[in-house]
Amino acid sequence: MKKWHISNLYLIFVFLVLYLPIIYLIFYSFNAGDTMDHFSGFSWRHYGTLLSDSRMISIVLNTLIIALLSSLIATIVGTLGALGIYSTKKAAVKNGLLSLNNVLMVSPDVIIGASFLIFFTFLGFSLGFGSVLLSHIAFSIPIVVLMVLPKINELPATMVDAAYDLGATTWQTLTKVILPAITPGIFAGFFMAFTYSLDDFAVTFFVTGNGFSTLSVEIYSRARQGVDLEVNALSTLMFIVSLLLVVGYYLLGRYNQSRRMQRVKAAEAKINQ
Amino acid sequence: MANSVIEFRQVNKSFDETKVLDEIDFEIEAGKFYTLLGPSGCGKTTILRLIAGFADATSGDILFEGQKINELPANERQVNTVFQDYALFPHLNVFENVAFGLEIRKISKTEIKTAVNEALKLVHLSDYGNREISELSGGQQQRVAIARAIVNEPKVLLLDEPLSALDHKLRKEMQGELRDLQRRLGITFIFVTHDQEEALAMSDQIFVMNAGKILQSGSPVDIYDEPINHFVADFIGESNIVPGKMQRDYVVNFDGQDFSCVDAGMKPNEAVEVVIRPEDLDIVAVDTGQVNVTVDTQLFRGVDYQISAHDKMNNEWKINSIHKTSVGQIVGLAFEPEDIHIMRYHETEDDFDARLETYE
Ligand SMILES: Nc1ncnc2c1ncn2[C@@H]1O[C@H](COP(=O)(O)OP(=O)(O)O)[C@@H](O)[C@H]1O
Ligand SMILES: [Mg+2]
Repeated sequence: MKKWHISNLYLIFVFLVLYLPIIYLIFYSFNAGDTMDHFSGFSWRHYGTLLSDSRMISIVLNTLIIALLSSLIATIVGTLGALGIYSTKKAAVKNGLLSLNNVLMVSPDVIIGASFLIFFTFLGFSLGFGSVLLSHIAFSIPIVVLMVLPKINELPATMVDAAYDLGATTWQTLTKVILPAITPGIFAGFFMAFTYSLDDFAVTFFVTGNGFSTLSVEIYSRARQGVDLEVNALSTLMFIVSLLLVVGYYLLGRYNQSRRMQRVKAAEAKINQ
Repeated sequence: MANSVIEFRQVNKSFDETKVLDEIDFEIEAGKFYTLLGPSGCGKTTILRLIAGFADATSGDILFEGQKINELPANERQVNTVFQDYALFPHLNVFENVAFGLEIRKISKTEIKTAVNEALKLVHLSDYGNREISELSGGQQQRVAIARAIVNEPKVLLLDEPLSALDHKLRKEMQGELRDLQRRLGITFIFVTHDQEEALAMSDQIFVMNAGKILQSGSPVDIYDEPINHFVADFIGESNIVPGKMQRDYVVNFDGQDFSCVDAGMKPNEAVEVVIRPEDLDIVAVDTGQVNVTVDTQLFRGVDYQISAHDKMNNEWKINSIHKTSVGQIVGLAFEPEDIHIMRYHETEDDFDARLETYE
């Protein structure tokens, strides 16, 4: 270790501020007592309650299903949309479409939620799983478009020409060239939409009916009724899962990179012989 | 022409209001090496895009083996392109890129393997099949692009400045190999470049272009020896261009004297431009040559000296000579009537060809 800079201190401070509340919350999930006032001893008690709380578990499942389904559908629609915007010839139309997309991105969730509620009640659409799914799909599409479009724009302008030149039909060009080339963008869009759907509160709050709920709405309503350490236990589990995801993602990236480096080295060794 | 593969008839191309190609007319014969030569932005790529089918002509006909193909989609045309920006598929490795066209045509795996390996060998990338495109240098990517096109054995191969990213040595090597390849495969090559030396070295036939027009077409020797106008003379190689006046057939006046020449068919006393190539000038003792000039600069280039001088009318003369002079010295320049080439102002290629017919 060389010198300690003030910037290091600042970094530590920032991370403490960011992570302290979560650590605090995790710590009390192991509390034998019922409140976060003081720690009265270690216990798995709240985890037990959580696992036997069938309502909570079904809500977790609902949330995951909604997130998976909505992000999947939004990815398909959004990718097609991005392709559509890309292939629009007229600059004015293109910019118009992009702006409409961006307006949806920046408008407050509350407004989107309220407008969905008005929309659904106007149509006489019953609130519940369907309405939540539809609204999640709707707010995820612009996210996917925004993640995919730059990838398409990055493609060499003549790459599509090259595919046609080599005899590919429009369909083959799409499936063999364009889609594979933008796959990273599509995956990024999917994961982004997935996380947005998972932790959405405002929009969901407006369009859930009586019978249906997602995690964020449920936790919100429970938190209003007072502290419940079962929520801490649930949050701890979710935190660990997301931590594992991040680590897994990192390791996967490292693995791919090292494999690629090895291949280059092997090829170079062969050439240098 | 019986074996014409591609023909343009009065083809025009405009983007919005700007005219990019102006009345392009040419015919391409099977099995030859053609070059489109011209400065950047003159419309070379646009011509290739029209042949390949990526763009539509604003007016005029494009024919392939006598059939009009204006409406034929790009994927049904029997031409392949080596793109200026390579346009390789980033998600496929080198082998898969080269195999793409064959896979589309549903050729058997073993045949594809043989063909691709052979194509990679042709471009000196035999051991690179497993490499990712992002792991290659610009020159290597360019060679993959060449392999990806030739592996399909098209009737016509379009090459858009395919050697521009290579270093000098590799470039010379690839020029020879492309030329060999063309002879061996018997495929018609349409090669685009802005490098006149490359065009002269490789082509059977050159089209010199400027600002959306074909100014002159012919063999490298024809174009070098008998450029049609100032632009072509200047663009193809080094040249001395001085203003003159045609006294009568076979006699031209410049630098205040009459010279005999081998050109004819102009009006008497017509103002013309006189071209003499630097390597056709010999330096001799003062007053023993046709023109006396004063040496301004002298540059040693290894093989010879590049000398710049001026005559008494202040015309500039470039001379390539193996003999040394000194700056400020007055020397004579000797040349033969055959070394003089006369250019008329604003002569069209048809008139030029017709005039040459009358006395050659
Ligand atoms: N898609 C396009 N839209 C508008 N102008 C274009 C387009 N493509 C080419 N041009 C113009 O056409 C002219 C010729 O271009 P190009 O054929 O690419 O030239 P070259 O290949 O000889 O350098 C240039 O002035 C260029 O700006
Ligand atoms: Mg070009």
